[in-house]
Order: sequence, then C-alpha cells, then structure tokens
Amino acid sequence: MSLKTERLTLGYGDRRVIEALDLEIEAGRMTAILGPNGCGKSTLLRALARLAAPMAGRVTLDGDDIHATNTRALARRMAILPQDPLAPDGVSVGDLVRRGRTPWRGFLSPWSDADARACADALAAVAMTDLAERTLNELSGGQRQRAWLALVLAQDTPLLLLDEPTTFLDLVHQLDLLSLLRKRNLETGQTVVSVLHDLNLAARFSDALVLLGRSGIVATGAPEAVLTSDNLKAAFGLSARVDPDPVTGKPMVIPL
Amino acid sequence: MIRRSVLPALLLAAVVASLLIGQVPMSLAMLWQGLVTGEGPGALILDTIRGPRVLTAIGAGAVLGLSGVIFQTLFRNPLAAPDVMGFTSGAGLAIVGAIAFGLTVPMPLVAAAGGLAAAVLVAALAWRRGHRTPPLTLILVGLGVGFFTSALSTFLMTLLPYSEAAEAQRWLTGSLAARDWTHVAQVWGIGVVLVAAALAQAGRLEVLELGHDLAAGLGIRVERARWALSATGVLLAAAGVAVAGPVPFVALMSGPLGVRVTGATGVAARMLSGAGAGALVLLLADLAARAALPGIQLPAGVMTGILGAPYLLWRLSREMERGKL
Repeated sequence: MSLKTERLTLGYGDRRVIEALDLEIEAGRMTAILGPNGCGKSTLLRALARLAAPMAGRVTLDGDDIHATNTRALARRMAILPQDPLAPDGVSVGDLVRRGRTPWRGFLSPWSDADARACADALAAVAMTDLAERTLNELSGGQRQRAWLALVLAQDTPLLLLDEPTTFLDLVHQLDLLSLLRKRNLETGQTVVSVLHDLNLAARFSDALVLLGRSGIVATGAPEAVLTSDNLKAAFGLSARVDPDPVTGKPMVIPL
Repeated sequence: MIRRSVLPALLLAAVVASLLIGQVPMSLAMLWQGLVTGEGPGALILDTIRGPRVLTAIGAGAVLGLSGVIFQTLFRNPLAAPDVMGFTSGAGLAIVGAIAFGLTVPMPLVAAAGGLAAAVLVAALAWRRGHRTPPLTLILVGLGVGFFTSALSTFLMTLLPYSEAAEAQRWLTGSLAARDWTHVAQVWGIGVVLVAAALAQAGRLEVLELGHDLAAGLGIRVERARWALSATGVLLAAAGVAVAGPVPFVALMSGPLGVRVTGATGVAARMLSGAGAGALVLLLADLAARAALPGIQLPAGVMTGILGAPYLLWRLSREMERGKL
C-alpha cells in the first residue's frame, strides 16, 4: 500500500484550499489529518478517497492514478467512512455490515464463506457481535459509529480512510473508537488515515500527523515533530505550550 | 412466516372478490364450473368480462407500486413517487397526444417516451451547476411538471370531438373498464422484464441508500446507477399507465403500505412488497369503484384519488412534523 499525492491542488469554484501538495502516507501506520475549520482537511481526505476531483495534480495508490482506476477495483483496496453516512430505516447492524462486501460480490453471486468471515471478523473487531440483530436506531451514538466502522472493516481493504470519525462522540467513546482502530491497525497492518479534531488524542493514537493551516500544509511527520508551539501558531493562530504527556509521553497541547 | 403470507392471502381474497362481485353477481360454484368446463356464465366472466380486467389491475398495480418503491428509496423520501413527480402524467399526456393526432404507435412505447421526457425535464429544471440536487427539489419540480403536463392533456382534449374527449377523460382518470387479453399480455410481458431489471439493481440501490459518498467508496458508479434506476422506475410506471391510465396515488401509497404489511427491510423484499401492495390497492380500488354506486361504473382512478389524497395530506403533515419539509 502506497498512497501519494503529487502536486495536488484542491478547491471549490475559484477558491483553492490546497495548492500543489506532495504527500506520502506511510503504509501500515495511523495518520491523522489536523487543522482549523475550513482549511480543507475533509476535502483532502475526500480527494484521497477519489470522492473529490483534483483541480490539478493527482493521487496515486501503488502508482495508479486513483481517478483513472476502476472504482470497484479501487473499493477492494481502499475504504472510506464519510462524515455523515445515511442509515436506512429499520436496518439491522448485521445487514449494514453485509453491505460492506459490495465490491467483492459479483452480479448475482451467492454469499460466500469469505463474505461471512469478513463480516463476523468486522463485528468482532468493534465488539458488536452480540448486537448484530439490533436495528441501528436502537443503538447509542457510540455503538452506531462502531457499526459504521464495522461496515468499512468488512470491506477488507489495506487502506482505510475516516472523515471525522469521532466528531459526534463524547470523550469516552472517542477513546474507545480510536483504541479499536489502533488495535486493528496493529493486528492487521491496515493503514488508517483519519481527519481528527482533538490534537491530544491525535498525538496519542497516530504514528504520523499532517497539519494543515489556512494556506496549505504546515508540517508533516511524527507527532513530536509536528505538534510544536510554532506549528500550532502557524496552523491555528493558537498560542500554546507543548509538554510531554505525563502518561503516554506523547506531545500534549496546552493552550495559553 | 405468518406475516409473509398476509399480503399474498389479501391479494388472493381481492382477486376472488373482484371476480364474484359486479353487475352480474357470481357464486364460487359458477366460477369453478366456468374454470373447469370453459362454458357457462362463469367462463364468460373469467374469459372476457372480469378475468382480463383483474389481471390487468394486478399487473398495472404491481408495476406502479414497484416504481414507487424505487423512487422513494432512491430519493429517501416517502413523497417521491412517479405520480407525484409528474412521470405518470407525462406518460398520460403522450398517450392523449397520440390519440389526438391519430398516431398509430403502440401505447406502451408512447407512454414510455412521455414518462422519460417528463423525467428528463424534471432533472433538467432542477439541475444547478456544481450542486447535487436535493431530493425535495426534484419532488417539487416534478409536482410542477405534473401540473403542467396535466394542463396540456386537458388542452388537447378540448381539440377532440365530444365522444373521443369523453373517452380520453375517462382514460386520463385511470380506468380498468373493458380491458382485454392484449392489455394483460402487454402489462405482464413488459412488467416481468422490468421487474427482473429492478430486482437486478436491488443490491446497488441498497448501497445507494447509505448516501452518495459511502456508495461511491464501495465502488458504485453513483450517477450511472441512479440514472439506470430512475429509468427503470419511469418505464415501470409507464407500463402501468399504458394499460390503466395515470391512476393517481397507487405508486405513492403502495411502498409504505407493503412494508407495513410485510415488515420487509431489504430492498429486494421492499420492492416485492410494494409491487404486491400496488396490485392489491388497484384491485380493491377498481372493485370499490364498480360496486360503490349501483348501475354506475366509476373509473378506478376516482377511488385511488379519494383514498390517496388524504394519505398524501397525512404524509405531508408527518413529514412536516419530522422537520423534513
């Protein structure tokens, strides 16, 4: 798995939010994209997932331009969980997760053992095996988000992209979800790229950070190198002190 | 298991009742005799008078109901239906036009052309550069296109001689009177093909339901899949209109009614429930229209209108309560 952007320029209408970005996502790692509102975090993630077309430049996965690759073939290599997926009325968790097998299933092809295994595995990974029969609207917000995560895990791709997966969750469920992802990442080697808001959680659960500012990229690399006072000032206009977290030793941002 | 047999049982009961009740009442024994021997009043009823009418109603109701399920699922809105969005009135206009100008093209083709033209018009009017059209916009634009095509139909009727205009009026209301086996063959032949096409797309529709981005991430070519499903839905509705006229509200009501009866959750099962409910609604509407006033045969569309309009109002008020309107 090698995901790269080459001179990638993104925007809407006449406004450019990202200009000529060269970025390489490390395989097998967890990468978080951070930045202030409106800096183009989600736009960047959507472009990595071929959901937003670049104004210039390209995104490549293992050397293939993702906008020139068959979208179904691509769906076996990368999965995207968007910010606000829509839940059909009365759908059960198990039904939802089964839809994650779409790119692996041919026209009229029967449900295979591999499909069943991938779904069982995905449900187990988010600790929802017992809740498979429940309908989505019976679940709490945290459980619901885990069900959506199970859908993209069942897709069984080497690369997983998540657009603000923790935004509507309280702190406990944010920790819960990111721990699940970390565990999965360590066990399967799945590369995870997510847009996150909480800097400290991002530092704690990521191997690499991509920090965006109002005018493009500010810093990329290990959390220690990216989360510095100067970078935070440049990206957010935030005056902050960064100390090592007394528990994890990762950088901890303390706004001043 | 019991729940699964409710809709077929209701359908069967409606078929039997439709065959028994009418200007000449029948008994089960007479029908049975007609069925076995092919002679007597029972055979006449089965072969000519009520048999084709019942089968046409089932076929037309089923394709209309299925069409409603497709649009309601695709646009995630219970108000999205070919009869609300102007597609059936487009098909109706094309047929009245064909009658007025004396064209000798097969009715299903005329209806299909009219329905597709109305759908393309709705999409074009609702389209804005660089924006994804919200379903509600499509529904409202469709409502407008529906009024417009209905007005054009009325205008065309004024050009017709009195007797033909009366016939066209009756037809535009949606009626199953005097249907014969050619109508049955038409709607069932086309219907079977289109139902198969719709079921083949059920999996894709199930993924489209999760929203544009997730569907695209799962490898669906979203725009293409939407157009293919819309075209299938319009053609289904047109197949119904070609034999029964633009009966109002059958497509709107059948999807939710079918799901209420069967409890189906998967898209394929919802499609079949909607088709079954559509057949049931049109059969019962036709039966009620025949039996309501002694000596007078109302068109079925009058009944579906009387049933459907309150349903539409109830739906609107519910959608407003849920803050979706």
